Amino acid sequence: MGIISVEQTDRLLWLGRYSERVYTTLRLYYNSFDMMIDEITDSYAEFCKMIDIPDIYGSKEVFKEKYPFDEENPDSILSNLNRAYDNAIVLREEIGSEALSYIQLAIYDMNRAKISRAPLIEMQRVIDNILAFWGIVDDSIDSEQVRNIIKTGKRIERIDLYARLGMARKELVREIDRLVPRIERSGMEYRKDKIGALKELVTQPEINYYRIVYEVETIL
Amino acid sequence: MMYDLDLLEHTDTVNELLARYGVKFGIYKNNTFKEQLFPFDAIPRIIERDEFDYLERGLKQRVVALNLFLKDIYSKKRIVKDHVVPEDFIFASSGYMAECEGVCPVKGIYSHISGIDLVQGKDKRWYILEDNLRVPSGASYPMIARELCRRSSPLTFQNNRLEDNRNYAKLLRRTLDNVNVGGHTVILTPGRYNAAYFEHSYLAEKTGAHLVNGSELRVKDDKLYYESYNGKLERVGAVYRRISDEYLDPMNFNPESVIGIPHIYDVYRKGNVALLNAPGNGVADDKGIYYFVPKMIKYYLGEEPILSNAPTYLPFYEEDMKYVLENFDKLVLKDVAEAGGYGVVFGSSMSRQQKEDFIELLKAEPRRFIAQEVIDFLDIDILEGNETLPRKADLRAFVLMADEPLVWKSGLTRFSRNPDSFIVNSSQGGGFKDTWVLSQ
Repeated sequence: MGIISVEQTDRLLWLGRYSERVYTTLRLYYNSFDMMIDEITDSYAEFCKMIDIPDIYGSKEVFKEKYPFDEENPDSILSNLNRAYDNAIVLREEIGSEALSYIQLAIYDMNRAKISRAPLIEMQRVIDNILAFWGIVDDSIDSEQVRNIIKTGKRIERIDLYARLGMARKELVREIDRLVPRIERSGMEYRKDKIGALKELVTQPEINYYRIVYEVETIL
Repeated sequence: MMYDLDLLEHTDTVNELLARYGVKFGIYKNNTFKEQLFPFDAIPRIIERDEFDYLERGLKQRVVALNLFLKDIYSKKRIVKDHVVPEDFIFASSGYMAECEGVCPVKGIYSHISGIDLVQGKDKRWYILEDNLRVPSGASYPMIARELCRRSSPLTFQNNRLEDNRNYAKLLRRTLDNVNVGGHTVILTPGRYNAAYFEHSYLAEKTGAHLVNGSELRVKDDKLYYESYNGKLERVGAVYRRISDEYLDPMNFNPESVIGIPHIYDVYRKGNVALLNAPGNGVADDKGIYYFVPKMIKYYLGEEPILSNAPTYLPFYEEDMKYVLENFDKLVLKDVAEAGGYGVVFGSSMSRQQKEDFIELLKAEPRRFIAQEVIDFLDIDILEGNETLPRKADLRAFVLMADEPLVWKSGLTRFSRNPDSFIVNSSQGGGFKDTWVLSQ
């Protein structure tokens, strides 16, 4: 196993978080966009509330255009993708050029979608690239520690998002179960009591989603 | 034509792949950082085996002499005492570092990685344009381009027998290992906003060295360490530093540097870490010192220089100043303190007023400029749409000083995209080509 500094650990973790954030919010955006085709009353404000971002859009048309592509907006999908890239670009020797190339391709495809007349179709490529990135992380990164740090970031982000979205219990249970072995093997210091708390929370008859967000965000 | 049309048909594909792998260079324009793709032209520069053998001999000779010069300058200064190089050109050089006096790097090697810029004249003769002995960059571009060209057009490489330039990482690793005093090998980068960041990260990946920034290294008890996540200190034995001398150590050089490592120079001075390239090398790749390199070769090696300089004049010398003033319009003038294609002016392109102003400056600061005859470069074809067009191009050859001098059998060929320009630097909008050295 190679040596990893505090800064690299942080970057690997956030690479996992941002790439997951892009993946999950894109899929969510797909569903919301589909709903917006038929709706009479705008639902985008609810979407913003769910994922805890400010509603700065004013109309669903502006939302549909700005939420995925506005680089000036730190909450947009493209901004999150750029942050994934900002972390990946300084990790080439840890993750390899091939893995990095899928984040780069996702940015190219996102920018292509931005000017396309059929952005949803183009954005499918972004999802494909993120999935390919995850695939190559598993397939090509020799260091188990590096893989586990990235995957820990991915799982933390997913639990956070799923809780904010009020996803079903079984989804949350599955994601917490997936987080545990990753974080244990990541070599990072973490709060073991938080794992216990998360497991406990998803067994309660009434799930306290806010509490789950809090526990997972303070696990490291 | 040696290259295959099949390869040329894949130019766009290769450029797309280069974009995919993030083959970019950073540039600041109007105080904003931008990453630009480095345009690749698939028509290679081809160098015959015999011709490269000749270049190889000349390049080794030059770099060996330059290393001896550096060793001499920071110790006995025989070359100054023997009046071969005037002391004005040493101590007034911005690259000279008094802090390096009496400090001998590991195994006495100063310039481990040298980038020597050459051009080929229309008379087919090669001329050295510049020596880069500090942090020369560019090897990664032809390395990755070759990889992608082979993928795009395997037949081209089956039909042409070439030296495989993808071995650069191995040569570099051998060079790093040769001086490693025990511990990890790291590549020290100023960070992703550096123009050559792609290269730093790519070479780290390919050599297996750790890519680090200054904040990840620390000095303790006269040794250099990499601080790992769990707080464990891992000894570092060799640093391929890609930051310039003045920013390397805020305690010894520029105190405002936030990208350096406090006291790293003290560790180096004690022989407890190798720095590649050695601090202080700037004194030898100064454009003013360039004039004296052929004299150095004779002085240190007792040999005639194999490769020629471009005919150069030093306005510092009265006789040369007279020649420069009389032949101003046919010369190119270079500010010795500038690099990257900046500070280069052609006498013929100046207005009357500009010329008068420049001559006044030249007379006031003769040490600051050199003048060179404009070499009529041999044009190289580039592909523009379906057309081939002639353009000016240079060649950056890489010489590595490992357990023996090694010349990389390839190089970075940079070309100007502007038909009227001799400036090939990427920062000025130029592109690059692969350099093929035929193996038979």
